[in-house]
Amino acid sequence: MVNKLIVSNVLYRPVRTALSALAVAMEVAMVMLFVGLAHGLVSDSARRQEGVGADVMLQPEATSFFLAFSSAPMPLSIGDHLKQIPNVQAVAPTLILFNTGALSMVYGIDINSFDQVSGGFAYYSGGPFQRPYDLLVDNLYAKANHVKLWQPVTLLNHEFRVCGIVQNGKGARLYIPIQTAEELQQVQDKASIFWVKCTDPKYTNGVYEAIKQLLPRYKITSVQEWTSLMTSNNIPGLNAFITVVIIIAMAIGFLVIFLSMYTTVTERTREIGILKSLGASKGYIIAVILRETGLLSAVGIVAGYALAAVVKKAILAYFPTLFIDLTLQWAAYAAILALIGSLVGAFYPAFRASRLDPVDALAYE
Amino acid sequence: MEPIIQTRDLKKIYRLGKVAVQALRGVDCIVHEGEFVAVVGPSGCGKSTFLHILGGLTGPTSGQVLVAGNDFSKMSDADRTRFRRHTIGFVFQRFNLLPTLTARNNIAIAQHIQGNGFNPHRFEEAVEMLGIKEKLDHRPFALSGGEQQRVAIARAVISEPKILLADEPTGNLDTENSQAVLNMLRGLNKTFGQTILMITHNPEAAGVADRIIHMRDGRIISE
Repeated sequence: MVNKLIVSNVLYRPVRTALSALAVAMEVAMVMLFVGLAHGLVSDSARRQEGVGADVMLQPEATSFFLAFSSAPMPLSIGDHLKQIPNVQAVAPTLILFNTGALSMVYGIDINSFDQVSGGFAYYSGGPFQRPYDLLVDNLYAKANHVKLWQPVTLLNHEFRVCGIVQNGKGARLYIPIQTAEELQQVQDKASIFWVKCTDPKYTNGVYEAIKQLLPRYKITSVQEWTSLMTSNNIPGLNAFITVVIIIAMAIGFLVIFLSMYTTVTERTREIGILKSLGASKGYIIAVILRETGLLSAVGIVAGYALAAVVKKAILAYFPTLFIDLTLQWAAYAAILALIGSLVGAFYPAFRASRLDPVDALAYE
Repeated sequence: MEPIIQTRDLKKIYRLGKVAVQALRGVDCIVHEGEFVAVVGPSGCGKSTFLHILGGLTGPTSGQVLVAGNDFSKMSDADRTRFRRHTIGFVFQRFNLLPTLTARNNIAIAQHIQGNGFNPHRFEEAVEMLGIKEKLDHRPFALSGGEQQRVAIARAVISEPKILLADEPTGNLDTENSQAVLNMLRGLNKTFGQTILMITHNPEAAGVADRIIHMRDGRIISE
């Protein structure tokens, strides 16, 4: 019976219902999309580093967790020592530049050694570098920036020619010859990182220990370990960002539901008086309002899932290089957060309704 | 016959800002089980306040109110609500149906609030007696005033309350519908022995009652 009352109340004011549900939907979609984007970018980065195909990375000691923010590069000659270590199949030096224009990394690579480590690029069109200012871009970068083969592209304040479009997933999205990268960074025979591939992944630990003995003052990381650490918990500020997004989203849901239920209670003062005259207790009145809020939230949560899926599709259509992980876990969290925000928002109006004087409520015009 | 309602020196003072308004100035009254009593008097004489106190919607300032053996003046708001749920049925001048519910659900919700679950037999009996069987799926806005009041009466009696309190039940109705509603109240009283206390301005309406109580300035002036 209460369900009938609640459903009929919800349907009685369709615009109010739609707006309340939309607010909850926006809250859910906001949480899912922002968290999904944060996690998506982190996991995409991890996936791409893994995609290089190396088993061990060697970097200068003071290197940041983010590969782009390396300190002073290392001499290329280190690569020769690394190749001498037993069970090392290939070593690829990479000089990483940070493209501030697009907030992305550019890998300066020696294409032969990089191919040996990574197994070679899969070309959608074009081929390897032919000239110093040739540029390889991955398919997602090409799609996002409408880049075509042989097209000139301004990068790092220089004009490059797109010589090939490759399958994404091997470290960066942009690759230039390592010599060109050295020239742009005004260094010679230097690398920011050495990718080391073992003859078999089972030798990773042995190779890791051998490099550690050979180069004790450098930072040596197994790629497997690095990717396992690439979570939002290990990215400085990311969890704080997610927390702020969640708080803002919950505040929106809370305020809209609060206002909606507050006006609802005012509008239904007389009806609350009628229920009281029939003997409805304070708990009954509170339950009716909170259950109505629960229904609005449920509709909003389902709409939020749909909204998140649609917005994700729209974002990826315009920004194909972004990754958004909409996970079941965060769908559940978003639902719980939305429900809690809504119920907290509705509680004061419900409490206020339960305390209405029945005589005054019945006389309400 | 045992009195089902008994008040002694019942007083009610409302505070409107700094002004104290004496709505009831010492009402002594007895209503026996199965009686149909009309309370008449000019506007502002305290009739509605008297009815609200008897229905447990508000408490008295002083005095004693015994309803079915329970002293309202000593009961908490929650206890009065619980008691009202099982013992009192209200019929109002403005019908006071829930606008979002159909007539059927307006009646059924009273049973739900009472907590005894839906009793189809009692429901059928009430709607048959009040002649609203064809209107059960209509919402209040689709019913005439007379039909709305009949639904309101069905809602009031569906839970078989010991006392039916009617606040100007014909005040918003034309003559024909007024007569129909009064006949129904009379029928409830005669057929089922329903105790009814009805407030009215209308002397003709009061005429259907067994007894008429006259009120003025917060006091009963004659019976």
